[in-house]
Amino acid sequence: MTHEKQAQAKWWLGVTDLMANGLAHGAEKVQRAHLSIADESFNVLARIPVTRPVSEPVRAMHHGISRLSYGSVSRVAGALAACSQQVLTEAAGSDQQPSPEASPQD
Amino acid sequence: MTLSSVSWQHRLSAIASGFLGDWLEARRNPLALSMDFRHQGQVVTPDSPVVPDPKATLVVLIHGLMELESVWTFPNQPEDHYGSRLNRALEGGVTTLGLRYNTGRPIYRNGQQLTEALEQLVSAWPVPVQRLVLVGHSMGGLLIRSACHYGLNQGHRWLSALSDCVYVGSPHDGSWLAKGAQASAGVLNALPRDYLRVVGEVIDLRSEGIRNLSRGDVLAGEGELAALVPNARHFVVCGLLAGHARHPVNLLFGDALVHESSAQGSGQGDWILAGSATFSGIDHIRLAHHEAVAQQLVEWLS
Repeated sequence: MTHEKQAQAKWWLGVTDLMANGLAHGAEKVQRAHLSIADESFNVLARIPVTRPVSEPVRAMHHGISRLSYGSVSRVAGALAACSQQVLTEAAGSDQQPSPEASPQD
Repeated sequence: MTLSSVSWQHRLSAIASGFLGDWLEARRNPLALSMDFRHQGQVVTPDSPVVPDPKATLVVLIHGLMELESVWTFPNQPEDHYGSRLNRALEGGVTTLGLRYNTGRPIYRNGQQLTEALEQLVSAWPVPVQRLVLVGHSMGGLLIRSACHYGLNQGHRWLSALSDCVYVGSPHDGSWLAKGAQASAGVLNALPRDYLRVVGEVIDLRSEGIRNLSRGDVLAGEGELAALVPNARHFVVCGLLAGHARHPVNLLFGDALVHESSAQGSGQGDWILAGSATFSGIDHIRLAHHEAVAQQLVEWLS
């Protein structure tokens, strides 16, 4: 593989690492925002006598499905991030003193 | 003489480095830019620099946050930049190098690395360096002050060649936007709603480099002041968004990111400047490649 192709491969690996980490952490944060916004509505429903009996079961179901969905995305992305980190570490180890011409951006 | 060829991948790396450069570096992610000098699109290694027709006067152009050396290039004139103007104006000509670096790292760490690189570069330059001019845009100006401080502490010889430092739209006292981000994150993180705290946490993901811009920190110690290095002339260039200096927009936003008082280092003690110029109607980014600024630099440095 030429220097240029190696540099391109490393650059895309870097993008993959960034995206995977972004997705893993992003899914966790979106889940927290989603659940806390939903809680605002469920808290209102819990104070209304007509909806009070069903609000808690619906809240539990909603939160369970949300946690499962976001958690799945986060775990898959986290696994991908761990793989990319491993490859990046190995690549850095085998390329301790890169020449300027082999810079990933060139 | 182009400073560099820049692809969309370089630009993406520069933006990612600005936002998350310290984190990317810790993960050894290739998106984290490394520090290097560039001339005509080629990397110039500091310990064995090879450039065509090296001059005794060196001009180093240092970009700002999330930028590349291409920020210095005049629009639609890829071979024209402040260095090329000085090359034509100064007797004997100059060699211009663009510095590329990871703007998400703490400024003091880049400063420590830059002073070492300049020491090597000036020592190994093919002809004796008689004059060194550093021009920094935005964060680049803070990086100059940081490198000068650490170079002075270590007794580096490149400082004896340093004749001029030009700070172009540099937030010596901090940028209002960086201060706003810091304050917003603080308020949001203290609120009782989780969805608001999440927004604060996302803002808090910003790099150390961006955090340094809140107060213009250039040294390792928080809030520590770095005096201007003696035996060199120091010039300040400020921009203002609106055409009239006293326009309310200028008072609120300065050049869009930096207020005039911050660019002049009003909160840094008694600076003695060799020159200061304010350009109304020129925003933060255009300060790095504007005809009026180029003329001012030529007038100061010739």
